[in-house]
Amino acid sequence: MNYFPDEVVEHVFDFVTSHKDRNAISLVCKSWYKIERYSRQKVFIGNCYATNPERLLRRFPCLKSLTLKGKPHFADFNLVPHEWGGFVLPWIEALARSRVGLEELRLKRMVVTDESLELLSRSFVNFKSLVLVSCEGFTTDGLASIAANCRHLRDLDLQENEIDDHRGQWLSCFPDTCTTLVTLNFACLEGETNLVALERLVARSPNLKSLKLNRAVPLDALARLMSCAPQMVDLGVGSYENDPESESYLKLQAAIKKCTSLRSLSGFLEAAPHCLSAFHPICHNLTSLNLSYAAEIHGSHLIKLIQHCKKLQRLWILDSIGDKGLEVVASTCKELQELRVFPSDLLGGGNTAVTEEGLVAISGGCPKLHSILYFCQQMTNAALVTVAKNCPNFIRFRLCILEPNKPDHVTSQPLDEGFGAIVKACKSLRRLSLSGLLTDQVFLYIGMYANQLEMLSIAFAGDTDKGMLYVLNGCKKMKKLEIRDSPFGDTALLADVSKYETMRSLWMSSCEVTLSGCKRLAEKAPWLNVEIINETDNNRMEENGHEGRQKVDKLYLYRTVVGTRMDAPPFVWIL
Amino acid sequence: MEFSNSCSSFSSSSLDSTKPSPSESSVNLSLSLTFPSTSPQREARQDWPPIKSRLRDTLKGRRLLRRRDDTSLFVKVYMEGVPIGRKLDLCAFSGYESLLENLSHMFDTPIICGKRDRKHHVLTYEDKDGDWMMVGDIPWDMFLETVRRLKITRPERY
Repeated sequence: MNYFPDEVVEHVFDFVTSHKDRNAISLVCKSWYKIERYSRQKVFIGNCYATNPERLLRRFPCLKSLTLKGKPHFADFNLVPHEWGGFVLPWIEALARSRVGLEELRLKRMVVTDESLELLSRSFVNFKSLVLVSCEGFTTDGLASIAANCRHLRDLDLQENEIDDHRGQWLSCFPDTCTTLVTLNFACLEGETNLVALERLVARSPNLKSLKLNRAVPLDALARLMSCAPQMVDLGVGSYENDPESESYLKLQAAIKKCTSLRSLSGFLEAAPHCLSAFHPICHNLTSLNLSYAAEIHGSHLIKLIQHCKKLQRLWILDSIGDKGLEVVASTCKELQELRVFPSDLLGGGNTAVTEEGLVAISGGCPKLHSILYFCQQMTNAALVTVAKNCPNFIRFRLCILEPNKPDHVTSQPLDEGFGAIVKACKSLRRLSLSGLLTDQVFLYIGMYANQLEMLSIAFAGDTDKGMLYVLNGCKKMKKLEIRDSPFGDTALLADVSKYETMRSLWMSSCEVTLSGCKRLAEKAPWLNVEIINETDNNRMEENGHEGRQKVDKLYLYRTVVGTRMDAPPFVWIL
Repeated sequence: MEFSNSCSSFSSSSLDSTKPSPSESSVNLSLSLTFPSTSPQREARQDWPPIKSRLRDTLKGRRLLRRRDDTSLFVKVYMEGVPIGRKLDLCAFSGYESLLENLSHMFDTPIICGKRDRKHHVLTYEDKDGDWMMVGDIPWDMFLETVRRLKITRPERY
């Protein structure tokens, strides 16, 4: 099979970078498997419990970059108790022991501790990049170890983590010799920031391209920071309250004008609405704008800013922009690829909210749109049909109508036909989230048409087990299925047990599955971990008998090659 | 048996044992969790809508800030020379800037705070002493406490 020496084959493999492709290569033959595994530098593990550190290191001894994901997606919405699992320490310990030359670690929804960060910082001489997304369990002391010990640190990117801020001096732990920073994101820290240390750090980091500040960095500090980092590409503004007449503001205006490389803007965690105009001069260069935390900024100011952003590709915004604002986006941002509209009012029937009109306007005005996350008050089938016609290129379509079970507000019909139109037209659809009043019919459509669908999120939808069965039988590429508050039960769960071997995971909460159904599943599929998460005592579940007919609160199952995990807390029962 | 209906009152979570089995009807009755759209008493759930905690906390904080004073303050607004006035809820604005913007929009002409001149419409107010004052000199909160009505003056003619 191989006419070339291994080194040549390996050189060819170097050009293959995507995980999917490399995984495919390794399946071709034993020789390619061997060459591939020794040359693989980046490994992605979508579920940290699907394998273990020992197997990882056995197969990929030359590992340089590791991505690990822990808790299931619904953990983002408080559906998974904090102590469920996803601990990174055993991984770092194993990597440290093996002396692998780790340079990059990316973690999502994992429990990280100061101890792990300390160990990480001391064990890998060439460690360069730490990205933590939606993680928890550590404090700024852990950050201090990273700052102090990682001599070649390039990226420290903390996205939406729960970090206990000890108001310590972690920023001053970066030694004076540290000049290699490219990314510094600490926007999620809640405590005070040592501004002097920060300014000195930024001043000695000529390669710094991405800087995201927390709310404790005031406007005058921002002005100084921007003045000494005009090479900035990606800026996250912290606090932004000031008097437009003040010297700091004038200084900021001047500094911003010099930042000709600025392409991405975010933050505004605390903002006085009238100062956004300082950014207008660089808006025409912006490709990414994230104002989803800028709750203080009035819709009209958002619109004024966006009107200057003709090159925008990515926009994350609150629904306070309104339908009218979205119409402005549709007519201004012709390059738009990704849009997220978040709710700004969690209780009221907000008059600032967006409706189906905004969505239709965007779909009509933005031909390159491929990803959308849209929270809204109401929707109609007609609107969804129009959107499907306008945008057949959707890869991700996530719609969240704030009121569960809400029908088409014009016809009072379920939204089956609307979503049906989306899946039928969008042949490349990989991710879909449903909402509103939905019957089994929508799942029939999904099973029939959504051939590329990998992730499906269902909430308050469907009538019978048939719904779930349509999806399990039809969507051949399904990887992650997450369902809450829907009437699917044991029949659907047990219909095709082998299906779960082709998927990463299944989550079902507040559905109709019973304990005995889950037990039967676990028996039939020993290569699955079937976890019952029951915050009330699991022992009581066993005792109450009813021959296992009681409903399971939360079910999480996933394929694994390493069997039952040993670190589960008492409220997680692995069958 | 509980029926889902967008006007019914908030009921408990979907673990309700009175939930009907799927075979009983073709209408979706699985939801025993409903949200009345206008009730101010609606309890905030921690798991719906599906947004991350950070955003949820940010919005909660903002709500506290805004609804600190759950009242409204409607005042009359007149454009000089126009006999019919408008009414405006000053509590809906965060400050002078947004007030001016809204007024400019409402009367379809730019309106400013400050000295009268030949070009601009200037906003003035009557305070609780009955005196007519220039808008913008005092902090917004103080202004809300003293304002009785608003008048938009015409550009000065010489």
